[in-house]
Amino acid sequence: MGNCLKSPNTDDISLLRGSDAGPEVSSEQSANMGPPPPYQESIPIYHPSPNVSRPANQLTEEEQIKIAQRLGLINHLPTGVFDGTSKKAKECCICMEEFLLGDMLRFLPCMHTYHKDCIDDWLMRSFICPSCLEPVDAALLTTYETS
Amino acid sequence: MASMEKRLQKELLALTKDPPVGVKVNTDAITKNLAEWTVDLEGAPGTVFEGENFQLQFKFGSRYPFDSPQVMFIGPNIPLHPHVYSNGHICLSILTDDWSPALSVQSVCLSVVSMLSSCKEKKRPPDNALYVKTCSKNPKKTRWWYHDDSV
Repeated sequence: MGNCLKSPNTDDISLLRGSDAGPEVSSEQSANMGPPPPYQESIPIYHPSPNVSRPANQLTEEEQIKIAQRLGLINHLPTGVFDGTSKKAKECCICMEEFLLGDMLRFLPCMHTYHKDCIDDWLMRSFICPSCLEPVDAALLTTYETS
Repeated sequence: MASMEKRLQKELLALTKDPPVGVKVNTDAITKNLAEWTVDLEGAPGTVFEGENFQLQFKFGSRYPFDSPQVMFIGPNIPLHPHVYSNGHICLSILTDDWSPALSVQSVCLSVVSMLSSCKEKKRPPDNALYVKTCSKNPKKTRWWYHDDSV
């Protein structure tokens, strides 16, 4: 089976957000240090489970499938821009910051709302809503079945 | 890293301004290093730990709140509780498997106080001697078995 999580240069975040997130090592840093030894090439880090961090090339096949499925599912969750009209969603409980006009939000099926960047970071580790502990994918799959 | 510090600053402010009963952050120690906190806990009145004081240590990694903090009892008084080992390690699922980034220092403290409060008999976990001899210094490295929800 082929590796569905290829490319040492795109990490999970850049796949989600487009190309705005660059590699973690800044160009200044790498210029000072010279070319990195081969084993230090920036291999994206994934979190197959919360509290587990592994470079992409050390993931088991099962974990690779899990992460690929997550990337797909995350993209199906609706996003939006905070316009101040929602009385319910006021604060992102991951960063504990209040939503500001223009913030990018993501809405989970359980109706909990977070900053897109905050919740995407968590969803790459776990598909449980941080607030109500409802499995996000269960709700998504039910939506598919009924529609 | 920056988002971790920002959130910890917020939590610290909220917890010093409006602390829950029996929970007090040691702010003097934190000004030096935001990634390591000590929280003083009081045994709740009407429980077997009434009148006792405990110290809870929090260590935050750069991926907090996505990764759980490392939490353990330190100091001279480690509560005698079936889920607390004599080296201060705590068997509590929200500290590892059931962690959520919506949890906070405050909610962890309240969970620990509640865990202490539901204890009826002061005793160590049955496998204390073996665990303390063989475990890692970091309680997060332990593969915990959460088998008893009654205490």
